[in-house]
Amino acid sequence: MTVSQRQGGSRVDRAPQGDLAQVIDLILDKGLVIDIFVKISLVGIELVTIDARIVIASVDTYLRFAEATNRLDLHQKGGKSLTETIGGMTESATQGGAKGTTKGVIEAGKEKFDDYRGERKQEKRRS
Amino acid sequence: MSKGTKTKTATYVYAVVAAGADIPEGLEPVGEEPGELEVLDHRSLAAVVSDVPVDKPLGRRQDLMSHERVVNAIAENMTVLPMRFGGVVANDQAVVDELLEQNHDYFVWALEQLDGCVQFVLHGRYDQDQLLGRILGDNAEMAELSESIRGTQPDATYYERIRLGEMISAEVERQRVADAGSAEERISPFAVAVATKEATGEDGAVNLSVLVRREHRSDFEQAVDALGDEWGDRVALRLIGPVAPFDFLPEPADEDGA
Repeated sequence: MTVSQRQGGSRVDRAPQGDLAQVIDLILDKGLVIDIFVKISLVGIELVTIDARIVIASVDTYLRFAEATNRLDLHQKGGKSLTETIGGMTESATQGGAKGTTKGVIEAGKEKFDDYRGERKQEKRRS
Repeated sequence: MSKGTKTKTATYVYAVVAAGADIPEGLEPVGEEPGELEVLDHRSLAAVVSDVPVDKPLGRRQDLMSHERVVNAIAENMTVLPMRFGGVVANDQAVVDELLEQNHDYFVWALEQLDGCVQFVLHGRYDQDQLLGRILGDNAEMAELSESIRGTQPDATYYERIRLGEMISAEVERQRVADAGSAEERISPFAVAVATKEATGEDGAVNLSVLVRREHRSDFEQAVDALGDEWGDRVALRLIGPVAPFDFLPEPADEDGA
């Protein structure tokens, strides 16, 4: 059984298994589900569902991208096509704004995710 | 089998393998008072199971990780059909009668389909500053827009921000499609199958599940390394696995087909 170990020099990070979100992606969404598992309720074990993934609405993504370009300019001192900027005063203004946005995002994302899960469940049920 | 007399237990199922499987030692089962992993043989199949108490909920972080670790450890050395998390049946006899016997032909067929294969998952994340810097550098309109919102209140330039973000987002998406395509091209010569999944998160670059024959594993890994070298700092790659072939389980045929 040859398990090729990583010799140095690779830029690729190796992991035997993913972090929690990646694990959830596999084992809650995928894997065999056999009809008899509906008997789980007969057996009486409660499955705790976990909302670990956050689906982000696109508008919020846009806003954060826009925000990120501001941040970017600050430490990049302007790419080729960027002329002198007003700089400096940006930080405090943007930070306050970003916080408010983020909170909304997570809540919205959670709803989205719940919907998504619901759909997925139904879709899988038929197999 | 060691049914405790104090608490009522049920049987948790991790995976189905071929009969006579030798399960790695020292794996932690799911549940708060875990028993031991056991292998229930039936005809040419076996189920990997453990007892779980019925009065405790399942689903702690640790339970999820345990399930994954068990199936992956098995996958390391043999072909495995991983169960989804949370498969519990009444008792060991029910595993044999209702799971292994009733689905015998499907399981045997599915094990044949996956014989000699393991799954890897390749995740890539963009260095966002680099990515955005390049996008703005290549596109004067976006760069100007970015400048015009600088230092303004987010509410005052809300629509400009949306417009800029939307353009960037479209560019990022184009980059993603291109990168997923070239990653797939690089590794598919060494893969039995490649599934492109959505790369989540704003910096998500690629998310590929790859089914690889064991004997091609090192070739495959070299191809991944080469891709990592080619992409450099632009994309941080992470190769997870070998894991059980969650993304490549063959669909059961129609009821009467079996």
